[in-house]
Amino acid sequence: MTAFNATRRRFLIGTGAVGAGALLSSCVTQSPSASGGKSGGPVTLQSNLSSPQAKTAMEQIVAAFGKRGDTKAQLNTVASETFRTQLPTYLTSANPPDAYTWYPGSVAESYAKKDLLLELDDIWTKPELAGYSDALKKLCTSASSGKKVFVPTSYYWWGMFYRKSNFAKWGVQEPKTWDEFLDLCDKLKSKGVAPIGLGAGGDTPWVASAWFDYLNIRVNGATYHRELLAGKHRFDDPEVRKVFDKWDEARPYFDPNGTAIPFQDATTALLQGRTGMMLIGTFFADAAPKDALGDLDFFQFPIIDPKVPVAEEAPTDGYFASARTKRADGVKELLRYLATAESQELYIKSSSGTVLPTHPDAKDAGTPLVAKGRKLVESAAEITQFFNRDSSDALQPTADTALVHYLAKPKEIGSILTTWQRSAQKIWSQ
Amino acid sequence: MTATHATAHSEDTESKAGPAEVVAPRRSWLHSRKLRTTGFHLTASLLSALWLLPIVLVLITSTRTFDDIAAHGVGSWPHSFTFDSFRQAWVDGGQQRALINSMLVTIPTVALSLGLASMAAFALSRYDMPFRRVLLLLMLGGNLLPPQILLIPVSKLSEVLGIYDQLYALIGVQVGFGVGFYVFVLHGFMRSIPGEIQQAAVIDGAGPWQIYWRIILPLARPALAALTALSFTWIFNDLLWAITVLRTDTQMPITASLIGLQGQYVSMWNVIAAGSVIAAAPTVAVFLRFQRHFVAGLNLGAVK
Amino acid sequence: MALIGSTRRSRATRVPPVVLAFVLIPLLAEAFWVFWPALQGFYLSLTSWDGLAAPKFVGLGNYSEMVHDAVFRTAAINTVLWLLLFGGLSAALGLGAAMLLQKERRGIGFYRAALFLPVVFSLVATALVWQAMYQPDGLINNVLEAVGLGGWKHAWLADQDTAFYAVIVPALWRQVGYVMVLYLAGLKGIDPALYEAAKVDGASRWQQFRFVTLPQLRSVNAVVLSVIVIDSLRSFDVVWALTRGGPYHSSELLSTYMYSTAFQSLRLGYGSALAVVIFVLAFGVIVSYLVRAFREAD
Repeated sequence: MTAFNATRRRFLIGTGAVGAGALLSSCVTQSPSASGGKSGGPVTLQSNLSSPQAKTAMEQIVAAFGKRGDTKAQLNTVASETFRTQLPTYLTSANPPDAYTWYPGSVAESYAKKDLLLELDDIWTKPELAGYSDALKKLCTSASSGKKVFVPTSYYWWGMFYRKSNFAKWGVQEPKTWDEFLDLCDKLKSKGVAPIGLGAGGDTPWVASAWFDYLNIRVNGATYHRELLAGKHRFDDPEVRKVFDKWDEARPYFDPNGTAIPFQDATTALLQGRTGMMLIGTFFADAAPKDALGDLDFFQFPIIDPKVPVAEEAPTDGYFASARTKRADGVKELLRYLATAESQELYIKSSSGTVLPTHPDAKDAGTPLVAKGRKLVESAAEITQFFNRDSSDALQPTADTALVHYLAKPKEIGSILTTWQRSAQKIWSQ
Repeated sequence: MTATHATAHSEDTESKAGPAEVVAPRRSWLHSRKLRTTGFHLTASLLSALWLLPIVLVLITSTRTFDDIAAHGVGSWPHSFTFDSFRQAWVDGGQQRALINSMLVTIPTVALSLGLASMAAFALSRYDMPFRRVLLLLMLGGNLLPPQILLIPVSKLSEVLGIYDQLYALIGVQVGFGVGFYVFVLHGFMRSIPGEIQQAAVIDGAGPWQIYWRIILPLARPALAALTALSFTWIFNDLLWAITVLRTDTQMPITASLIGLQGQYVSMWNVIAAGSVIAAAPTVAVFLRFQRHFVAGLNLGAVK
Repeated sequence: MALIGSTRRSRATRVPPVVLAFVLIPLLAEAFWVFWPALQGFYLSLTSWDGLAAPKFVGLGNYSEMVHDAVFRTAAINTVLWLLLFGGLSAALGLGAAMLLQKERRGIGFYRAALFLPVVFSLVATALVWQAMYQPDGLINNVLEAVGLGGWKHAWLADQDTAFYAVIVPALWRQVGYVMVLYLAGLKGIDPALYEAAKVDGASRWQQFRFVTLPQLRSVNAVVLSVIVIDSLRSFDVVWALTRGGPYHSSELLSTYMYSTAFQSLRLGYGSALAVVIFVLAFGVIVSYLVRAFREAD
C-alpha cells in the first residue's frame, strides 16, 4: 500500500514538475507591455515628502490642481526612507505610479538610461517652463537621450544651523574660517554642550555624506568632487585621505550619539540645546515645530583653503514621471502646474517656507533666513547637489557604510577607503 | 487533584502521604507553606511585572506630548498627559484607514480559509479519498514553506493578474498560504467524530453537503473557535505579505502601516507609541475575550 | 458493507463527487498561491533578473556568487546564531516559566496571561516598543545610569557589536509566552503517579525533573523544536522593523537579506537563490514534522 502510494506520488510530482516547468517560462516573468495610452482615473503622484509640514503642503497643491480643471491628481505619501529604497520597484512595476518626487541630474540619469522616465521635451517649450534658467535646463536633460526628463520646482541649501538664542546664551558667534570653527567647538564643549550634532543613525545615514561632500569641496574643490563621484578618481586616492585628515580635527566635537539617531531626533536635540550646531539642509525645518523657525540661523561651512573656489551644496528638487504611465496627458498637465510660480508659492506658504522656488517669477518666503540662504547660493562659484544626486542612488549606500564605519572606528580609515573603492567600482562598472 | 499536585511539586519533603498530614510541628508547616506561597507570588509577580513593563511604557509614552519627550527624553518620567497623539496617529498618520483595511482583509480571510479548510478536512476525514494522507501532508507542507521562496513570484503574479496593490491579492495569498495548516488541524479533530452519526444521516437520506453543514461542522465548533481566534491574530499581525503585494499607503493594513508611521513621525515617539497601541488593541481584545480558545488552539496544532 | 466500514474506521468508503470538490477547491487555492509560486521561486533562483527585461538563465551562477558573498556569510552565521540563541533561550525560559506557573492556584491566570500577552502583538508593534526603549535617551540607558552602571550604556541598535543581541530580546520577549503555553499543556499531561513513585524512591527535585519531567516532555520538545526552527528561519518582522539588518549587516539574517536583495536592490534572481537556501535549511525540520504528522494522520 505504501509502496504503491509512493510510486504514484512520485509520478504525480514528476508530471506536475514538468507541467510547471512549461508554465513557468510564461506567466510570471512576462514583462507587461509599456504603453503610453490613455486611461481613466486620477494621476497618481508618489511623494516622499513625508515630514508633517511638507505633507500638508503637498496635499494643498494637489487639491489646488484638482480645482483647476478636469484632471485630478491623487497624492500618495510614502515615508522618505521607504520611498528611497522602493523607487526602483515603483518604476519597474507593471502599473507604476504616474509622477514622483525626486531629484534631477546624475541620479535621474540612472533611471533615464533604462528608459524608465517619461520624455518631457514638449512641456519644456510651454510658457511655464520657458523662462527657467539654462543651468536648470541642462540639469533636467538626460545625458544619454538628450531629452528632458525632469521638472524642477524648488531648491534649498545646506548650512551649519544653530539656534540664535542658544548661541547668545553661550556667548559665541558664527565662525568664518576652519580655525575659528574649531575654536567655537572648544568653547561649546567647555560649556557642556556637544558642539556638532549629527543625525546619521536610524534610517538617515546619508546625512553624514554632507560632511564628506563639504570637506571634499572645501579641500579639493567641486570639480574634483564631481569627478570622484562619477568614477574618474578613486576613493583610496591621497586627496580623499586628506579629507578625512581634516575630518579628524572636527571629529572629537561630534555628538557621541550622532550615528545612533536619525536626523529628526538630532534636530530635536539641537532645538533643545543639547547640541550646538548641525550641518543639515533646510528640509529639517519641515519636521521641526513651527515656532522654532524664527530662532534658527545658519552659517556657511567654514572655509578651509582660501585658494579653492567656494562651492555650496544646493540641491534641486522636483518631479519626474514614469515612461510606463497610462495617463501621459494627465501627468504632463500636472507637471506643468507644478512648474508654475503659483503652485511653488503655495508650497512655500504651506510648508516651513525654507525652500527657494525655481520659477524665476515666484516669490520665496521672504524671511531673513531665506534671504541669507539665497545669497549664499547665489554667491557660490559652483553648486553641487549632494552625494547621491551627483552620482546615483546605488552609490549612496556605499558612502553610508563607509562614513558611519569611519565615525565609529576612525583608525581603520585605510581599509575603509579600500572597501569603499571596491564597492563603488562595482556600481560604476554596471 | 490540586492536593496531589501540591504534593508532587512541593519542596517540602516532609509531607509525603497527603495534604492534611503533617510530620513537622503545625506552626512551622503553615509558616513555610505561607512563605512558599508568598515566595511564589513574589517571583511570579516580578516576572509578570518585567514582562508587562514594555507595554506599560508604551501606554505612558502614548499619552505624553511631543514637547515633553523632546525636552526630557523618551525614557524619562512623564511630565504631561494628553490623548492628542492618538488623534494624530488616527487621522494624520492614517491609522484609521489602516485599521479598516486590516479588518477588510482579516475577516474575509478568516472566514474563507476556515470555510475552505473545514470543507477539505471534512472530505479527507470522513471519506475514503484516494491519496488522502498525501493530500493532507501536501497541504500542510505548503504552510510550512518559508514565505521567502514565494515573495517574488507572488508579487509578480498579482501584478500580472492586475490585482497588485489591492487587498484582494492579500486576501488571496493569505488564504492560499494558511489553509493547509487549518485543514490539518481540523482533520485531526474531525476524524475523532464517530462514524455512526454520519451513517445515521446517510440512512436518513442526507447528502454530503448536509452532513457537513448540519452535523460535522457544529461538532467541530470548539476547534473552529480556537482556530478563529488564532488565525485572526496571525492574519491581523502579518507584515511580510502586506508589504510584498501592496504599495499605496492608503491600502496598507495596520501592521505594515505602522512601519510607515514610524518613517513619517520619526522622532515623535508619542505618535509612534499611540500607533502601536492602536495596532495592538484589536488582537489584545480578541485575546482577552477568547483566551481559552487561544490556548486550546495553540495546543491543537502546536505550530507557529 | 456500510456497517463493516463503520466498525473498521469512521470513514465512508464511497466518495461522492461533490466531496471531491470539497477537497479540490482549497487544494487549488493553495496550489495557485503557494505551490506554483514556489516552483517559480526555484526556477528564478537559476536566473538573473532585474524585474524589467526578461530573466537571463545563469544556471548555478547565483549560488556560486553566494559562496563568495561576505554579506551572505554574515547573514548565514547570524541566522544560525539566531537559531541557537533565540531557540535555546526561548525553550529554556519557556520551560522555566511553565514549571513556575504550572500549578493551578489563585492568580495563576493573571501571571500566565501576562507572559502570554506579547504573543498577540504584531512583531512590528513589539519592535517599535523596544526601539523606544533602546534609544540613547531611552529607558534601558536611563535605568543603567540610575543603578550606577552608566558605563554599560550603548547605542544598542546603532552599535555593530550590540545590534544583533538587542534585536533578539524583543523576539524572545514574545516567544517565551508561546513556548510556555506549549510546555504547560505538556506538563499537565504528565501522570502525577510518576512523581509519586519517584518521590518514594527518594528522588530530589532536580532528579525528578531530569528523570520524570524531561522524558515525559519528549513529544512536546519535538513540537517546540519544530516551532522554533521554523520561526527562526522566518524571523523577519522584528529585525526589519528595528534595524533593517544593519548597522552594516551586523544584524542581517538570511530572511532580511533576501528581502533587501529582491525588493530593494532588485536582484530578483539572487534573492530567489537566497530563498532557496532558507528553504533547504528548513527542509529537514519540515520533513520531520510532516513525517510525524503522517504517522498521526491515520
